Amino acid sequence: MTSTWTVAHRLPHRYPMLLVDRVVTAVPGSEIVALKAVTTNEPWYAEVSGDARDGDLAYPAVLLMESWAQSAGILAASRSSDGDPLSGDVMLFGGATEVRFLHPVLPGDVLEHRVRVVRLLSDTMIFEGECLVAGRPVMTVERMVMAFRPAQTLRPAPSTTSDSGSPAGTQED
Amino acid sequence: MPTVVSPVRAPVHVLAEAVADPTTGAAPRSVTSLVLETQEPVFRGHYPGFPIFPGVCLIECVHRSCLTTAPGTPRAVLTLAAVESTRFLGAVFPGDRIVIESTWTAISDGWRVTARIRGDRGDVAAVRLRYHTGEAG
Repeated sequence: MTSTWTVAHRLPHRYPMLLVDRVVTAVPGSEIVALKAVTTNEPWYAEVSGDARDGDLAYPAVLLMESWAQSAGILAASRSSDGDPLSGDVMLFGGATEVRFLHPVLPGDVLEHRVRVVRLLSDTMIFEGECLVAGRPVMTVERMVMAFRPAQTLRPAPSTTSDSGSPAGTQED
Repeated sequence: MPTVVSPVRAPVHVLAEAVADPTTGAAPRSVTSLVLETQEPVFRGHYPGFPIFPGVCLIECVHRSCLTTAPGTPRAVLTLAAVESTRFLGAVFPGDRIVIESTWTAISDGWRVTARIRGDRGDVAAVRLRYHTGEAG
């Protein structure tokens, strides 16, 4: 089992965007199972009113994706050395294909992310898998692509010219 | 006002509703914009000292735009069935404004929406979503 501290150590994300709580099992370069508990204590629920019904409280689908992608990121991080996650190479969310949402996720649910490496290239990893709640799939991921780029290509340049803030290439996630 | 549970606080500004052109038969197109202020909660943790708008939150901007501009009278109730594809092309930083152009294609039980997102420095992302209409789940 990987401790919570280790999750935070392997990902640059922090509150409120650190969306993995615990790693259950991980085989570097192959697969990972990780958990995230969904709670109304996340800031997305700040505006929920007293008369909200279950259907109003569904966890945002894109955060389900993000949480799954971060689990993949932990697996990807296991290939590089520890240290400052924003130095060296960072993982970029390159894109995704056919991510299906099968059932709503509600506060109190525990997400079980299952991520498998489909292909491993020098600067790219391709993943597939699913997310389960109480054994039932709530999301399936046909393909998600993560790319590795030097962190400095993403940092807004410290110069004062107006066109210097755009990172090269891809959107980091 | 129904409860909105979303990682994006910014309101969706509707520049064009998704209305089919009855003369040409062209698919409905909608245009929306959002301004992603520094106060967006995701920036605090994505990443500390290096705020950059998460890619999935760009998908959320498209999704919220779709809910706001859905075709039909009354407006169709959409359930997100799938993110069919996404491609991220450029970064979005605090204070940036994004403009989303969406093309709506009717499918058997809902809509497919193909969206292009542009930011202050050019193309940001391409997103294709699939929606069911009607019942949730």
